[in-house]
Amino acid sequence: MIFTTPLGLLALLAIPAIVAIHLFRRRFPPRSVAGLFLWQVVQQKPQGGGKITKLPVTASLILECLAALALALILGGARFTPGSVNDHLVILVDDSASMAAVNAQNQSPRDRAAQRIMDEVERFGRGVRVTLIQSGEHPAVLAGPAALVIEMRPALEKWKPQAQHHSLALSLRLARELAGKTGRILVFSDESPEFELEGVQWIAVGEPLGNVGIIAAQRSLSANAGKGTISLTLGNSSGKETKRQLRLLADGKDLLSQEITVPPKVSSMNLPIPAGLPPVTVTLSNDALQRDNEVILVEPRPQIVSVDNRLMKGRGRDALDRGLRSIAGITRSEQAQLVFGPAELLDHPPEPGTWRVGFGRAPARLLSPGNPQDLIGPFIPEKRHPLLLGTTLAGVVWAGALPIDLSAVHPVLSSGNQPLIGMLGSRPDDGILFNLDLDQTNLPRTPDWPILLSNIVELRRQNLPGPERWNYRAGEWIRVRLGHDPKGPLRFQCGSITRDLPPARVVEFTAPAPCLLEVLEGDQIAFQLGVNFLDEIESDLSDRVRGEFGRSNPRAGGVLTEGGPEADPLFWSLLAVAGFAMFANWCWALPATGASG
Amino acid sequence: MPPIHFDWPEVQRVAAAFRLAMPRSPVGGRLGERLGSGTGSSLEFQDYRQYTLGDDLRHVDWSAYARSEVLAVRLYREEVAPRIDLVLDVSRSMTVTEDKGRAYGELCALLSCACASTEADSRVVTAAAGEAQLLERPEQIERFLSCDARLSALEEPHLPLRRRSLRVVVSDFLFPHDADVLVGRLARDGASLALIQLTLPEEADPSVEGGRRMQDVEGHGEFDLVIDERAVRDYRERFGRLRLGLARAARRAGASFYHVLAGTPLRQTAKALAAAGILESL
Repeated sequence: MIFTTPLGLLALLAIPAIVAIHLFRRRFPPRSVAGLFLWQVVQQKPQGGGKITKLPVTASLILECLAALALALILGGARFTPGSVNDHLVILVDDSASMAAVNAQNQSPRDRAAQRIMDEVERFGRGVRVTLIQSGEHPAVLAGPAALVIEMRPALEKWKPQAQHHSLALSLRLARELAGKTGRILVFSDESPEFELEGVQWIAVGEPLGNVGIIAAQRSLSANAGKGTISLTLGNSSGKETKRQLRLLADGKDLLSQEITVPPKVSSMNLPIPAGLPPVTVTLSNDALQRDNEVILVEPRPQIVSVDNRLMKGRGRDALDRGLRSIAGITRSEQAQLVFGPAELLDHPPEPGTWRVGFGRAPARLLSPGNPQDLIGPFIPEKRHPLLLGTTLAGVVWAGALPIDLSAVHPVLSSGNQPLIGMLGSRPDDGILFNLDLDQTNLPRTPDWPILLSNIVELRRQNLPGPERWNYRAGEWIRVRLGHDPKGPLRFQCGSITRDLPPARVVEFTAPAPCLLEVLEGDQIAFQLGVNFLDEIESDLSDRVRGEFGRSNPRAGGVLTEGGPEADPLFWSLLAVAGFAMFANWCWALPATGASG
Repeated sequence: MPPIHFDWPEVQRVAAAFRLAMPRSPVGGRLGERLGSGTGSSLEFQDYRQYTLGDDLRHVDWSAYARSEVLAVRLYREEVAPRIDLVLDVSRSMTVTEDKGRAYGELCALLSCACASTEADSRVVTAAAGEAQLLERPEQIERFLSCDARLSALEEPHLPLRRRSLRVVVSDFLFPHDADVLVGRLARDGASLALIQLTLPEEADPSVEGGRRMQDVEGHGEFDLVIDERAVRDYRERFGRLRLGLARAARRAGASFYHVLAGTPLRQTAKALAAAGILESL
């Protein structure tokens, strides 16, 4: 016997309570009388309470205890058997957007999968339990684990595949965990499995279809020319030239509407648009997959970095000027966001919003005893530091490197124990030291020089307020720098999705779905970003397949499910015992109060 | 129920001096030794009437014919053997204690002896169902004293009583009833009715006992009761009303009523019953 709700056994406390009541019940010596009716009085106040005497084992006591025991066992969920064993289907549905592609009969792999799932459920009978898993980067259980069919059905009807391309490996792992030894795993996808899967029945419900989709899109701005450009990359999986209607809309107005001919496979096109337009929606006419026919693109706001060269006149200053001239997106200003100067500059407190890059002899507090050295390597870079990305330092003679206290700087580039490029704090805005005599070194004449300068400028640019980019793919990581403390609650809104963001100067989140995403600071829109589908693999429907692969685990034991109390004979037995005990107690055991002679 | 034991020889000694008292009004019955209500062949003169053809010439009063020259016939009272219905309450309440049971047995035996002395057609009624049982010999009364019924026969709406019978009812009458209705029902179509109420002294006059679990001897209920002054006073009041009601109802119906306390010597009881007109001395 098992108990499904053991807490209900607390009702057994009723038995000692009943015994106590019987034990303490006031009991007078019995007196047989002939005319009981003559003794009956309307009301008599009890004199004193009960007293403990030997417990009389009466029929009433036995019946009351029996009824309490039976009811306590019912409340405790007493069962003879723990339940019944039912077949357990663990169904993994591929949530990638291609499952929603429709053919000429307006039928999609999703429709075929849903129909097949219901067929399988019916084949296993009414008692089958189903666990429905939706694949994705974060797999989700839509119904279950081990849900009833009636619970699974609405979840299946609501399922609309729209995710980016993703691997099913993670979802399969979840399915295996949920299946354990009890479940049969069925996978519904429009692709064939990449390799043979043991104990998994893979049902491919795809169909090769021709499709034209936007697989990449970019909106750029030429600030000097005052023009913008939309660059589209189109994928055509139909294998032939296809005509499509292309439309550009901004603020509800048509910017462009024309028929285009899309060549097979991948092609690209540039569409000039005026600068300063609000978010532009680009649409292609309908075909098999709707999701890749539309993108929304936000005009990027140029992030100009103001720089200032404060080096002393000489070869070094000239080399720096030449290097800066080759970098786009900067401007020269005395109130600069990025200041290049002699290393003594780093000894002064920084101005707010200004990064300083110092060349030459470091401040005395940073120096160790020793003489300057000219080094030709080997150089030890901190490889993943953004300052050194793309540099090789091949053939560089690092001239005038003074001994630096290792505890005073964070080395980015070193030679032996000698820091050559270092940061004065944990962040670049504390100052960057080039332990280098720029007049003597040959670094400005090497290809690494403009790369180094560009890295510095880009590092600064990335720290300017605003997003790193203005248009993203769904699922991409978005990083937005506010540049100030938030003035209100931060959140973003993407279509019907709204999420709160932590109140920080820098917020990061993933782009949830294709939409015009708005970052809100209080009620004000701080930034608008375009989030688009742009999935080349999902847009290519030419390799979708239909068929069945592998077999589900035939030794799956089924899941043990608990039936209702009515399914267990013990419940009815206990109910009958309780009912009988109460009835008998009422009718026979309880003293009657009638009267006769 | 335990069997009722009593001293038969003592009962027979006491009963030897008594028989059931007959009513003054003539009673009906088979041909017997008691005067009936109609004309018969007894020696007791009743009336004259004019001679008609077919009259027995032996009954012609020739002396009267000589005086008046009118043929007249002398009519004599009939002699009958009376019917006696002895109605016994054999519910458990009659043996609630051994004393009450013994007193009940003695009383019933006394009455059965009295019936036998009366040379009547005596029958015993103990239940509503079935015929009244013939009482041929006084000792047969013991057959009827089992006292295990849960209901008194008197509570039944109909009893197998015979017309114009002498009815003697023995009970404690300790059951809810309407005295007028009960007595009227017992007296209907009867020649006479005698009600004998037998109770224990403590049933008639209880004393303070304290807390008791009052259990009806016939199983009709129980409850806790503290028998204090007030409860005793209330009980006495109710019992008095019950007894008074029976007495009044008996008086209205022309019946006799007597209350016997168990434990009273039988001879004293017999004398009291004789004084009450239920028995008569031989």
